[in-house]
Amino acid sequence: MKISKKIVLIGHFGVGKSSLIRRFVENTFTEDYKVTIGVHILKKEVTLPKSNDDITLVIWDLEGNDDITNTRPSYLIGTNGFLYVFDMTRPATYQSLENDLDYIKDRYPNIPLKIIGNKKDLVTNDFIKQNKDVFGRFVDFYTSAKSGTNVDDVFTNLAEAVIKEAKK
Amino acid sequence: MLEQYKKEYSQSVNQYIVVDLDGNILESDNVIFPDVVGKNLSDIHPFFESVHSALLEPNKRHIFSCIHLTNPENQTIITDIIVKTFDGKQPPLVAILDLTTHYDNYQTTAQVRNESVINSQILELKNEYLQEKEAFKNAFIANFSHELRDPLTGILTFSDILKKTHLNDEQLNYLRVIDSSSTYLKQLIEDILDISKIEAGKLDLVISPFNIKQLLEDIQSVFAIKAQQKGLELITNFNDNLPEIVGGDALRLRQVLSNLLENAIKFTEEGTVTFNASLNQIRAQKASIHFQVKDTGIGIPEDKLEDIFTSFTQLNNSQAYKGAGLGLAIAKHLVSLTHSRISVDSTVGEGSTFSTNINFILDKNQVLKSKKKDVLTPPKSNRKFSILLVEDSEITQLSILKILASRGNYFLDIVTKGEDVIPRIENSEFDLILMDIKLPNSYGDEITKLIRKMPEREHKKIPVIALTARVMKDDLKRYKKAGINDVIQKPFDENTLVSKIEEYLK
Ligand SMILES: Nc1nc2c(ncn2[C@@H]2O[C@H](COP(=O)(O)OP(=O)(O)OP(=O)(O)O)[C@@H](O)[C@H]2O)c(=O)[nH]1
Ligand SMILES: [Mg+2]
Repeated sequence: MKISKKIVLIGHFGVGKSSLIRRFVENTFTEDYKVTIGVHILKKEVTLPKSNDDITLVIWDLEGNDDITNTRPSYLIGTNGFLYVFDMTRPATYQSLENDLDYIKDRYPNIPLKIIGNKKDLVTNDFIKQNKDVFGRFVDFYTSAKSGTNVDDVFTNLAEAVIKEAKK
Repeated sequence: MLEQYKKEYSQSVNQYIVVDLDGNILESDNVIFPDVVGKNLSDIHPFFESVHSALLEPNKRHIFSCIHLTNPENQTIITDIIVKTFDGKQPPLVAILDLTTHYDNYQTTAQVRNESVINSQILELKNEYLQEKEAFKNAFIANFSHELRDPLTGILTFSDILKKTHLNDEQLNYLRVIDSSSTYLKQLIEDILDISKIEAGKLDLVISPFNIKQLLEDIQSVFAIKAQQKGLELITNFNDNLPEIVGGDALRLRQVLSNLLENAIKFTEEGTVTFNASLNQIRAQKASIHFQVKDTGIGIPEDKLEDIFTSFTQLNNSQAYKGAGLGLAIAKHLVSLTHSRISVDSTVGEGSTFSTNINFILDKNQVLKSKKKDVLTPPKSNRKFSILLVEDSEITQLSILKILASRGNYFLDIVTKGEDVIPRIENSEFDLILMDIKLPNSYGDEITKLIRKMPEREHKKIPVIALTARVMKDDLKRYKKAGINDVIQKPFDENTLVSKIEEYLK
């Protein structure tokens, strides 16, 4: 039987949520910024490398929000996994990182959550090192939607965590 | 009638669907998605795959706003979707409300808002980054120039000393090259320091009375020689109407005029350099004086006129014109401190004219302080003076030792570590302390504070003269507050050192 899981991307606006999904689903990228309003929902089937499980990811691309508490709760019903995305070139998008993560973990304690520092192509490794205490200690993946770095890994890694959680 | 109009003109944009608890469609109208009866909700759009769980909870009403769907014509529509469940066997209702027009307007607003927020954040970041870079650059330059001064002081002092030994002509010639190279290097370092002070907003004018005619004549004699060496003629016109004594910053005026003349000579291969000064007017105890430096050199293209005042810009990047190109930038900033500006008039191939009007204070009651003589006076008495030098740089130690030893009336004691200063003072009698500021593990101004707190009067009153390259406004304030009496700027020459010391040994 085909399993289908709901993945939700959240984070400030303009951090690259739609771009990461576009890279993952269509393997394309555009510099043009089209603001997401409400939510776009896309589907992609993946085969997990470790377990060989086939799984359909229903990916919810939420509109960006600079205040996580304004996220519409209806969008989060039935979520199986979260991706929290921020933009390493804009401190405003990671200033409230720790609080935001607490907010999610409080309300959805058992739902796998991965933290992503995006736009890696625009920063140096030194910059990432320097910010170890600022955001580094939280981050699971540094990605670039533009170059494609780590994008597939993010989704498969989260999918694996989701499956593992479902088997519990 | 109303019913008829409604049928004709109101177009329903909502679709109502009745489903079972598994999402299988039992009933539906065909407003947006036609022919869906018998299919499952998830066949309409992946959105519905994620709302199955909502169907199972009885007596709930969920509203999902602003959901993007794709209609059968493959167009995106933006909808609100209501899922209503009931008690018992009553099947749930799903209503899809097409609000595309409404949300399209919202999209436009959100686009403008987000873009402007992001732009301002990027701008902020850029500014922060630039400011950091700028501050770093200034600090770097200040520190670096500071580091260069100690060894340079060593070179200058020892070539002076070397000059007084018995050298043959060949050796003297070599020494002259060393001399002129290190003097040039010293000038460069001073220019770079000036620029970094200017850029950090830390350069202030020091106003005091001086003889402007004398100053112009001094400059004339220096540059007449420089012009002559290049086969050029220096023509000067100093109008008789010039006042003699004015209030202003003589040092900086000399710097501005020298930089303009230096520049004129540098970029002129043949012909003349003309140096004019005249009085414009006297108003409210202020004299406005016009200065002009005119050359017959290569000239400046019109589109480059602005650039020539920028640091590190040299129009002609060829090797023939050496120098960092700081002179004009410094001159421009210095003149702007007097609320004036330098204007340029230039024709390529014919030459350039730089002119400026500078205001000086004209106060008849101000008496010119007697100018300090440059020549060193012989020691006033046979008394010997004891001087404590606190300095970790060996080159500076040696330079001072050499200079003072040649005078014959000084004992010099040296300590290299801050913590040794107080014990040494307690156990000896010093007439004066020369204090380096940046010592390993301590600072001269901090040590001076301790000296000023010593219990014995003859200890805490010893004059302290700082030896330092750090002479920014803030630094000087700090030294004064710490109780330092005076400052000798590194690199220093024999004259400055000895006359400063003598000033405090009466
Ligand atoms: N250089 C670079 N630019 C990126 C990257 N990811 C996204 N962008 C750019 O960032 C801008 C915003 O990207 P989106 O994917 O629309 O951001 P979003 O998070 O979906 O924004 P909202 O929908 O408003 O929340 C676009 O101009 C993208 O081209 C990346 O990895 N590198
Ligand atoms: Mg988006």
